[in-house]
Amino acid sequence: MLRFVIRRAFSALFTLWLAATLAFLALRLAPGDAITLQLTFSGATESQIAARRAALGLDLPLGTQYLNMLSGLLRGDLGVSLVNGRAVTALIGEQLNSTVALALGALIIGTALGIALGIGAALGRVAVQRLCEALIALLLATPIYWLGTLAIYLFAVWLEVLPSVSRSNSLEALILPCSVLGVSLSGSIGQVAAAALREAKQASFVQLARAKGLPERLIVWRHMLSAHGGALISLIGLQAGFLVGGAVVTEALFTRRGIGQLLLNAVNGRDYPVVQGVVLLSALAYSLFGTLADVIAAWRDPRLRTL
Amino acid sequence: MIRNFLRAFALLSCLSIAIVVCMSSIVLTNLLTRTTAAAQPAPSRIVYGLTLLPSGFDPHINASAELGIPLRSVYDTLVYRDPVTKAFVPGLAERWDISPDGLVYTFYLRRDVRFHDGEPFNALAVAANLDRITAPETRSQKAAFLLGSYERYIVLDEYTIQLVLKTPYAPLLDSLSQVYLGIASPKALREYGTDLYQLHQVGTGPYQMVEFIPGDYILLRRNPSYRWGPSFYRTDNPAPVEEIEFRFFTDPATRAPALESGAVDIIGELPPLDALALARRDDITLIPQPIPGMPLQFFFNTGKAPTDRLDVRRAIITATDRVAIIDSVFQQLSPVAYGPLTAVTPFYEPQIKQYYPHDREVARQTLTELGYRDNDGDKILDLNGAPLRLIVIVPTWGYVPQVAQRLQSQWREQGIDVELRQVPNLAGLLAAVQSGEYHLVAFNDFGADPSLLNNFYLSEARNNFMRVSNANLDQWLRQAAQINDPAQRQNFYTGVQGLIMDQALILPIRDYVNLNAHGKRVSGLAFDAYGWFPLLANLTFVGER
Repeated sequence: MLRFVIRRAFSALFTLWLAATLAFLALRLAPGDAITLQLTFSGATESQIAARRAALGLDLPLGTQYLNMLSGLLRGDLGVSLVNGRAVTALIGEQLNSTVALALGALIIGTALGIALGIGAALGRVAVQRLCEALIALLLATPIYWLGTLAIYLFAVWLEVLPSVSRSNSLEALILPCSVLGVSLSGSIGQVAAAALREAKQASFVQLARAKGLPERLIVWRHMLSAHGGALISLIGLQAGFLVGGAVVTEALFTRRGIGQLLLNAVNGRDYPVVQGVVLLSALAYSLFGTLADVIAAWRDPRLRTL
Repeated sequence: MIRNFLRAFALLSCLSIAIVVCMSSIVLTNLLTRTTAAAQPAPSRIVYGLTLLPSGFDPHINASAELGIPLRSVYDTLVYRDPVTKAFVPGLAERWDISPDGLVYTFYLRRDVRFHDGEPFNALAVAANLDRITAPETRSQKAAFLLGSYERYIVLDEYTIQLVLKTPYAPLLDSLSQVYLGIASPKALREYGTDLYQLHQVGTGPYQMVEFIPGDYILLRRNPSYRWGPSFYRTDNPAPVEEIEFRFFTDPATRAPALESGAVDIIGELPPLDALALARRDDITLIPQPIPGMPLQFFFNTGKAPTDRLDVRRAIITATDRVAIIDSVFQQLSPVAYGPLTAVTPFYEPQIKQYYPHDREVARQTLTELGYRDNDGDKILDLNGAPLRLIVIVPTWGYVPQVAQRLQSQWREQGIDVELRQVPNLAGLLAAVQSGEYHLVAFNDFGADPSLLNNFYLSEARNNFMRVSNANLDQWLRQAAQINDPAQRQNFYTGVQGLIMDQALILPIRDYVNLNAHGKRVSGLAFDAYGWFPLLANLTFVGER
């Protein structure tokens, strides 16, 4: 088990390096740079623009810039924003709590709703099965943008019970965004849960458990979901990683600050250090939750430890 | 057996119901507290919706127009422009002289002004601000360039300062009236440093910054000791707003619902259809605000066939039904644009309206005279075997895609084939322009001094998207930016506007109008000479809904 965890940790480190490198390359391949974009309409001359790029080290050869970036990362220094001069760690830090609150809430709602839908779709009465399957398909096909706008009109404009605009991380302010994002997540979780349960229904150990006279509740939770829930855990882990990278659309809809908005602005302004910082955070979250999910799955199912 | 499975399902449902009950109780509590809150005296606090999320909020460093919406009222400037007459009026400087050669500006400062942190305002404060703006390490993106040919300052006494220029620069007063050259407290500038000052801004204006959480909100509170406002700030406002919270509504679709639900009291940049629907409600007031500067326009690339031919460009403008575009895309909420400056810009020349009235027959004739015929029967005109085909660079913002689609269909009917190339952001637009593979590109910039044309129309300008090189245009634009006499400037700019349209360098579409609206809790919403920035000091708090 320890060797398994160490192996996973190394692969996570590799993922981080790969993400940093790809982000570095992709940004430099995209047209335009922060300084040119900032000064194009200011009336600055070509030489003024060149001087400022030089002052920021943007004129160095790519290899040198890459090494500078890597050595900065090793020292834990993510650099400063090219747009507002503030430290990237500070910029990310001040947005992180808002993103984590949204992600956590959405994940809890999405998982609960998704598993309920999955159980209904796999094990319910025929009518219930049909209903749950249809709901899962609908949720998978509904863009979050539409769902969110609908929710705002329903709860904020028409019923006037919940704020569409949330200034803080108070519970009240989190209900709508978390619910919308959670409901949207529950489609994929429900689909995977239903598939796992359908497979488990055929398994001989379930027949045995039933023959032993175990209560169905125990069969579903202790036997079926734990034996066939590996994919579900991985999916939830991946979704968690994805959400920390920022839910741009949800943030914009509910005018929440967060990592997603930070990233969007940084990409448009070619603010390399900020984009790199957010990509790294996102990769870190992916690796962390992915590894965590794998470790949990391996602990539940020793067959997976050899992978 | 299935029944037993259902038991598990029921258990989970119960859990979900529990969550729902939890949430509803919060909602109920909220409703109840709201009722009790309504019984108490209403705090005079409103929410103002911003529409962009600028990455930086320091007016000396950053260039976004959005930052001026709150910060215009945090700072005062040496001079102001009257919103109606656009004339320069005293601000922090009670008067000023300009030397006959246009190289020395002497400002006589007010003596009764204090910054929000209690520091006194004087010539040394102005000097400290100029030092900061021009320092290379500040990396100013706009303010430093607004100063033009500025060379140095001379502090004559505690309340007199001179600005010395290398060459005459007529737009200087206009620059000094902009929020980017707002005067900040030297103490706060020292205390917080270049990177953190934006979170703790201190000016002399009618509102002070209380709190700023990037990406979340900005909170301003009324400055009770403010007595030195420009002539157009109301001094008899019966109920000024005590606190204003600015929040970001980057997604256009969220703006109207926010206003309808009461989540915001004032918001701008409403989509035209939403604005029209809101205008019908009696609890919402629509305030369309025209913006000085360039209209929404397409620059013709004069370096690429067929738009290198003057008559082709003229035919394309004549073939365009701008009124139909204004009707369908902008719901008649914007005026048609006829030239390179909008009608509310100083030195705008109304005669420009006579150029290129829409006439499909004239356009058809012009193209026929040039030799364009549909020889292969594909309904697209061709010349020497080559079809008449235009490539249009279309930014995804500012309703340009909707406009471009209508241009495409209007021009198709005229036998002109159109390819639209969308670019997602400014970087994409500049890259597309650099390639030279286009006939038209949409872009516009804003400002109250027509010298903003220099960035686009001078032959060596960075943004000469037209690839134009016209000696007269160069000379007139340069001279107009050096002469202070308004009558002479008017002559030059009349010539410039006529020449640009005579040469058909642009296809103007609509004067930019910012569609603002406010709810019943406030009245008196008006904007400054630049159109974007509200005069927060003139807002009156009316009361709870």
